[in-house]
Amino acid sequence: MTIEPLIKSRPSYGPVTVQINAKLHLFICTAEGQSALQTLIDAIPQTQRQLLVFSATDARGAVDEKGHSLLAEQVGAALCDAPLATAIYLSGPEAFMWDLRNLARSVGFADEQIQMCEPVGNARRLFCTHCYAITEEVSHSPQTCSGCGRLLLVRDHYSKLHAAYVGVQINAEDPAEIPEPEALS
Amino acid sequence: MTIDKIRVRVDAIEQVAPLIREFQLVPVDGELMPFSPGSHVIVEMPDQPRSHRNAYSLLSEPRDAACYRIAVRLQEHSRGGSRFMHEQVKVGDELAITPPANLFAPNWGARKHLLIAGGVGITPFMSYLPALQRVGAGFELHYLFRSKQTGAYRQQLASELGERCYLYDADEGIRCDLGELLGDQPRGTHIYICGPQTLIAGVQEVAQALGWPTSHIHFEAFAAPQPGYPFEVELNSSGRTLAVDGDTSLLEALEDAGIAVPSLCRGGVCGQCKTRVVAGEPDHRDQFLTADERAEGNCIMPCVSRAAGKRLVLDL
Repeated sequence: MTIEPLIKSRPSYGPVTVQINAKLHLFICTAEGQSALQTLIDAIPQTQRQLLVFSATDARGAVDEKGHSLLAEQVGAALCDAPLATAIYLSGPEAFMWDLRNLARSVGFADEQIQMCEPVGNARRLFCTHCYAITEEVSHSPQTCSGCGRLLLVRDHYSKLHAAYVGVQINAEDPAEIPEPEALS
Repeated sequence: MTIDKIRVRVDAIEQVAPLIREFQLVPVDGELMPFSPGSHVIVEMPDQPRSHRNAYSLLSEPRDAACYRIAVRLQEHSRGGSRFMHEQVKVGDELAITPPANLFAPNWGARKHLLIAGGVGITPFMSYLPALQRVGAGFELHYLFRSKQTGAYRQQLASELGERCYLYDADEGIRCDLGELLGDQPRGTHIYICGPQTLIAGVQEVAQALGWPTSHIHFEAFAAPQPGYPFEVELNSSGRTLAVDGDTSLLEALEDAGIAVPSLCRGGVCGQCKTRVVAGEPDHRDQFLTADERAEGNCIMPCVSRAAGKRLVLDL
């Protein structure tokens, strides 16, 4: 089975540009993502910008619903202190960026205030449509669900709300059938 | 219109401001339906030599299906509609209206709603307020008016809303400082503006300078087609030619000739009446078509737009 090539919900990432009317420019990235933002960071006067850099470990699935992680605390505090006219620039793994986008929206920012760079790496967060469990850092399809153990086809269908790709059982009719895993792009 | 009209009877008329009359409309047969806050209806007025069709916001409680209320400001440069409502319509008269349509609904995801009304632009907010209060939403009403002309319902609003109601009577020299107002709002606030184009543009300009996200700014202009030069329109399918006089919109001319073109806002914003142009150059006056579509010149919004020259051929 192959993955459908054109799924509308799959995010596409255009060039990230300075939002000139913003009063504060808030850059949030992982260490690996910083280089993609550096030109923009350098273009903003120091007094109008704030930079939060997280290590890959801190960034991993870090903004949970209870908001107990270091990342959620620090980002949450920065977002709550930020003025209405804030531009938010994100760079890092895809799920990290969309978690932050959802956090920003939850405190009243609009989609057009949030820009994302091309994600660092191909890793996908996977949402199981059968048991709703999340499996992090998925690189191949099919993938065994961390919750129910079903073998999931990793679709290109993206849920912004879950910041995850949707997975459906690939061998529901015959669980003995184990297709060869393919690397995801 | 392509949807069934509702026959209503004028149950009461009240002068609610020097230039504004409120009309209470009850169904002739059957019943009205509840509507969503911000909805409007098109009122069809059987005037001579031709009828008028104007959009008016419903200002009654949205859950009340017994009666619809609209308020009409007498326009100085009336093309006939508002003058007809003020001078011809009497209690007991029957009118036809469309079912409610909504192009200006509240965004329920907003953390706070900032309502800015100019003059008779208070009307859509009259249906917002009960709904916002019902869900306990955070809101403020800023109402700009000239008490010698408009300012309907202001005493009632002030007493019902208390400190959430701000009145600015320009005839008393009281102005609204938009920079101060927009500069001091919490994140997640959505702005709604209904009023003259100058007020809408003023708020948009201040908001842009302050770095407001544009998706949090919603507006509804007083939608009325402006007059222009007379022209001819040819219908491509039949070869039939109609004359459009200076005070009649292209859409009205088509409707008067029995040509059904779907329409909703009749003010160049909703996109319903988009029609293909086969020949001739349109004079675009809408806010719906993109710059690219305008440049291509092969479609027109007949509710407000006209011909730039003497003749248009439409794909109808």
